[in-house]
Amino acid sequence: MATSRRNTSQRLTLVILLLASITVITVAYKGEARHAVVSVRNGAGDAVAPIQRGIAAVLHPIGNLFAGMAGYGGALGENQRLQLEVGQLRRQLVEAGQAQQQLDQLRSDQNLPFADGIPEVLGEVISSPSSNFDLTIEVDRGTSNGVGVGMPVVSGAGLVGSVISAGQHTAIVQLLTDPRSEVGVRLGTGDVAVAVGQGEGDPLQLQDVSETSLTSRGAPVVTSGLDVAAYPSGIPVGTVSSVRHTGGSLTSQVLVTPLVNLLVLQYVAVLQWFAPA
Amino acid sequence: MTLRTWGRLGVIVLAAVVVQVGVLNQIVVGGAHPDVFLLLAISAGLVAGPQRGAVMGFTLGLVADVFVQTPYGLSSLCYVLVAFAVGLAAGTVSARPTLGFQAAAALLGGIGGTLLFAGLGTLIDQPSVPRHQLAVVAVVVAATCVLLVNLACRLLEWTLVVAPGAHHDAGAFAGGTAR
Repeated sequence: MATSRRNTSQRLTLVILLLASITVITVAYKGEARHAVVSVRNGAGDAVAPIQRGIAAVLHPIGNLFAGMAGYGGALGENQRLQLEVGQLRRQLVEAGQAQQQLDQLRSDQNLPFADGIPEVLGEVISSPSSNFDLTIEVDRGTSNGVGVGMPVVSGAGLVGSVISAGQHTAIVQLLTDPRSEVGVRLGTGDVAVAVGQGEGDPLQLQDVSETSLTSRGAPVVTSGLDVAAYPSGIPVGTVSSVRHTGGSLTSQVLVTPLVNLLVLQYVAVLQWFAPA
Repeated sequence: MTLRTWGRLGVIVLAAVVVQVGVLNQIVVGGAHPDVFLLLAISAGLVAGPQRGAVMGFTLGLVADVFVQTPYGLSSLCYVLVAFAVGLAAGTVSARPTLGFQAAAALLGGIGGTLLFAGLGTLIDQPSVPRHQLAVVAVVVAATCVLLVNLACRLLEWTLVVAPGAHHDAGAFAGGTAR
């Protein structure tokens, strides 16, 4: 009898909690409650930012100490310098290739906006994603530094992602590889497409590339900046890593490897650029 | 629950936040990192039983969701189910769960919780990670749960004022075996 009552009570509690969870999800998904959740999240991000910075400041020297003990201190600095240099060279290569292939188009189109000249806010990455299911990073710059939702984020090599949430002192950046990320891009052949994230470590998938496209492996990919795009044009995104023409389809399956190594980001720049309304 | 129990629970949750966002988020293995909130939900099921463990799982989920960009409430839904299932399983053994039982519960809870989260996310149109990445996440989360489950259980026993050996059916939330 007591066992039966306890079982009933357990089931009742479970049902109530499940309903409560579903209610929270539903209420927080849209409307005013969504704004409240965003505000709470931003506030929480600001609150724990000093802790994150403090722990990062402690962990980095420890990591460097171990590296030094192993005799790799010099190699570490050299490696970082070389990585930066490789990133810059890759960017230059893509920019040069793109410029070569589209010089005439760019010259004839005076209205194309360029990433150059856009004010930047430099920030340090203070946290990787808190969840294994969203590909975001947190930077130590927020609205008080001029960072706003929707602003593109770049590193030395190219596009990193965009700001999806900004607190007063911190901001959340959605990475290119997040499955929710979509970037309007232009290929070297002049084709325009949408690059969609497929998860950490995986290449971006281009949607809407015509089956007749002449794009090939290694071709540069930059942001298109068309119409109401979320990014200014000309920011290097990556290079084409695979092109597959599937029979019977009007589009090609094109994969793009991002230029930026999104797994080891330490510093990024937020471009103070807003998408045209 | 007494004021002291609530206070201790607050300390544990605060510590979990600091450990997760400050330390564990930086420990990335194959693109995945440990999940201390799922670990605590599993441990809550082991220590406090299905009913009270689920309540703790719900609370932990609400806190965890403040620090992620996934739909708010999704972690609660997941942790409630995991804690309840682990609590039910723990209820099948008459004595206090052994280390082996704790490890098995942590392994299955870690893998199950990860897959459940991905599955529930898909149901509400939340893009998930690719399958191969999901496998890595499940392995990393489950492995760390196995490693830390005993410590987490001890912490929760202290938090809920449960005497060692007097596990979930001792009425931890109602005061338990006061020390």
